[in-house]
Amino acid sequence: MQLVDDADGALDSWARFCDLSDELFGGAGDLSAGPRLAPVVADLCARGLAELLRDQFIRSLEGIFRSNAVKKFWQQFHPYCNSSAVERIKFCVQENWPEDILSKALEDICLEKNYQEKCVLALVHSLQSYEDRSPHRKSKALDCSSSLMPRYQLMVSSVLLTTLPLSFPEILNVYFKKKLEELNIMMAGLDGSDPFDNHDLFERNSTSAWHSEMDIDGQEPGISESRNLVKNIGKVVRDLRYLGFTSMTEDSYSSAIIWLLKSKVHELAGDDYRIPVLGCVKKWIQAVPLKFLHALLTYLGDSLDNESGSSGLKSPLASRPSSFPGIGVPSEALVRWHMRLEYFAYETLQDLRIGKLFEIIVDYPESSPAIEDLKQCLEYTGQHSKLVDSFISSLRYRLLTAGASTNDILHQYVSTIKALRTIDPTGVFLEAVGEPIRDYLRGRKDTIKCIVTMLTDGSGGNANGTGNAGDNLLEELNRDAENQENVDYDDHTNIDEKQAWLNAESWEPDPVEADPLKGSRNRRKIDILGLIVSIIGSKDQLVNEYRVMLAEKLLNKSDFDIDSDIRTLELLKIHFGESSMQKCEIMLNDLIDSKRTNSNIKTSLSKTSQTVGTVQEETELSHEVLDATIISSNFWPPIQTEDLTVPASVDQLLSDYAKRFHQIKTPRKLLWKKNLGTVKLELQFEDRSMQFTVAPVHAAIIMQFQEKPSWTSKTLATAIGVPVDSLNRKISFWTSKGVLTESVGPDADDPTFTVVDSTSDFNKNSTVNQLSERFQITEEEGESSIASVEEQLRKEMTVYEMFCIAEPSYDKSLQQLQSFLSGLVSDEKLEMRDGSYLLRK
Amino acid sequence: MCTKMKVKILQWHGVASWTWNAQDETCGICRMAFDGCCPDCKFPGDDCPLIWGSCNHAFHLHCILKWVNSQTSTPLCPMCRREWQFKG
Repeated sequence: MQLVDDADGALDSWARFCDLSDELFGGAGDLSAGPRLAPVVADLCARGLAELLRDQFIRSLEGIFRSNAVKKFWQQFHPYCNSSAVERIKFCVQENWPEDILSKALEDICLEKNYQEKCVLALVHSLQSYEDRSPHRKSKALDCSSSLMPRYQLMVSSVLLTTLPLSFPEILNVYFKKKLEELNIMMAGLDGSDPFDNHDLFERNSTSAWHSEMDIDGQEPGISESRNLVKNIGKVVRDLRYLGFTSMTEDSYSSAIIWLLKSKVHELAGDDYRIPVLGCVKKWIQAVPLKFLHALLTYLGDSLDNESGSSGLKSPLASRPSSFPGIGVPSEALVRWHMRLEYFAYETLQDLRIGKLFEIIVDYPESSPAIEDLKQCLEYTGQHSKLVDSFISSLRYRLLTAGASTNDILHQYVSTIKALRTIDPTGVFLEAVGEPIRDYLRGRKDTIKCIVTMLTDGSGGNANGTGNAGDNLLEELNRDAENQENVDYDDHTNIDEKQAWLNAESWEPDPVEADPLKGSRNRRKIDILGLIVSIIGSKDQLVNEYRVMLAEKLLNKSDFDIDSDIRTLELLKIHFGESSMQKCEIMLNDLIDSKRTNSNIKTSLSKTSQTVGTVQEETELSHEVLDATIISSNFWPPIQTEDLTVPASVDQLLSDYAKRFHQIKTPRKLLWKKNLGTVKLELQFEDRSMQFTVAPVHAAIIMQFQEKPSWTSKTLATAIGVPVDSLNRKISFWTSKGVLTESVGPDADDPTFTVVDSTSDFNKNSTVNQLSERFQITEEEGESSIASVEEQLRKEMTVYEMFCIAEPSYDKSLQQLQSFLSGLVSDEKLEMRDGSYLLRK
Repeated sequence: MCTKMKVKILQWHGVASWTWNAQDETCGICRMAFDGCCPDCKFPGDDCPLIWGSCNHAFHLHCILKWVNSQTSTPLCPMCRREWQFKG
């Protein structure tokens, strides 16, 4: 009987509990049913139904939540989720999308949840008050009351996550990207001032009422704007967390920040390698994303890192700051973010620079800031092998091709050495990168020649020469060597114990990529010259090539100025040793001796010619004009000598000189190499004169024309003692200068050369160009030279044709052509008649 | 017809080589070229002259001096074994 009563009472209480909870849920903000719940709950608990009651309560809340709030919430995003990829872009470009929808939807659902929580709290109170009155049953009911709220939170997030549309994370991502971009623009606008410095504001904000509108009076509008922006973002983040989307939210804003950082790095780095950007990037990280994160974390109240440890669930109470953030001391989360962002920035910049390393090295040393940046990045990321792989492939693709000149390759190689030496002083990566270049250069025939030119040419040697690009490589190498020697000196000779200890402590192992066979870094000084010589294989070949080039250079000197060559030789001696440069030294010594001997001979000759004054007048050539380079032929590279009969007057000079040499240097004798040397001469016509610097053979040719104005090539060849074909080659020098003209006589193999001796015509029209000038001359000379005129014109035509071939097609517009031609008309070169252009006469 | 063109030589810088004009190619003592230098010298020419004996045999001066100084009795020409005398 009592059992039936009990059951009836229980049923009765249960029904009342259900009514009351329905009233509570449907109360639309009215929580008056809450207190009335207590006796019913107490009764049911007394009957041992606490757990049942709790489950029932949660289940009904879930039903309401699912059917009202969640459905409404997702509906807001349906237009986006249901559209195609193309249409989604349209959404993204809308100004306030998804900001408006997102914050509105979040606000609604949070409000709903907030209300439901209050209901839950009402039940919790009822349970607690029951527990207070009946201490002996405390444990069981307490269990129910304390597990109620977590269970509710779990329910909310599981409902939301199970109904989550696939594209919701995408929406969040778009939202954060847009907001961060907005913030970035704002921050760029207010350089210097710091809207987030006011920690106080955010503390108040986070601990006091969340939704209070903060007035920021007396602040710049930009600052308050950005602060509002962060606050709005913070609100969204907080709401999302409140609903249990903690990790998804974090993913979203992290990826947005990373994305922004990446685009910022790309924007800052660009294609200008002359300015360092790493500093700017770091500063920007401090200025925008970190400030943002600091503000956000402070606002959310978990600037002390408590997010990683806890589960994804967080009640709004739990997210209250457990302690006050230290002002100026960055929290652990922030420090972690800082490191993460910097690493990412380093990596992005590094990838960017590695991709453009070839161009950067082309610009070296102007691009050294970029190299320096890259070095720092690589020190941080340690991805050197990425650099090696990428650079080798771009070398193969862009440099080591048939189209690149050997000189360019060598210069790029030297720049590469210099640049990589900065990045990696141990030279390990340089070895890897340099190998393909060296291999390739070994396959080229002109490599040695180019190397020697590169080493010895350029403005180098002049003490006053500024160290510009023309400076020869050897000079630079020498400076390098001096610097390295100085370092050596510090390292080994002059160290005290303390320094030795420090050196020992700073020892580092070679990078793992190092080839153990190549010795440790201490022995491996990066020697540019050594690396270059290793292309050729042996220094002997290089020295030999240098000797040949030096010989050619010295034999063509008309003064005895060899200071720069001496300097170069001294430098080469340092690198290659004195004995291998011995022959070159003798060659230079010959020049020095020649200068002395030459002046001795000339002084003694002029003394004799003063006493015998008549000789000079006969020959019309003074001994003054003759200089000689006297060589020790055994030590010079083989020199090509050709026979040449110089005019008698010159020959006289030469033999006088040789005689005098024999007198001074008995028993030594002088043997002329008549085809070698240089001659400065002046061609004198009646009204004009021209100066030339030519080889002796050219001088011999033109001097023959003093006696006779025209020669056939065979007779001329006999006169000067050279083969006909060689003469024909040489004489083209004078025809190309317009001094001689060639005409075909009766024998086609034996053309006649005539002096262009047109004194009367030259002053007639001195401004016209050479073409018309020559045309006029020949016209007046009459029929005899017509053939030659035609031939000249034909020659000129082929020259013009060569230019035409060189340029694939005429790519100028008709207008450009017209303006060019009208320019010629106004210069009186052309005239326009009847719509066609004519050469002006 | 006489040409009016005149060629005026401003400077003629020629190239010549010197030789000792000895009958032989190489020094009989050091086997180096006469126009080169003896093994002890760096530079040929004035620094390392030739010397002729009365027998008309030529040697690098440094070579024959070394030879003469190393002989205990009257020095002989290394080539013809006649008594060595410098040609006056």
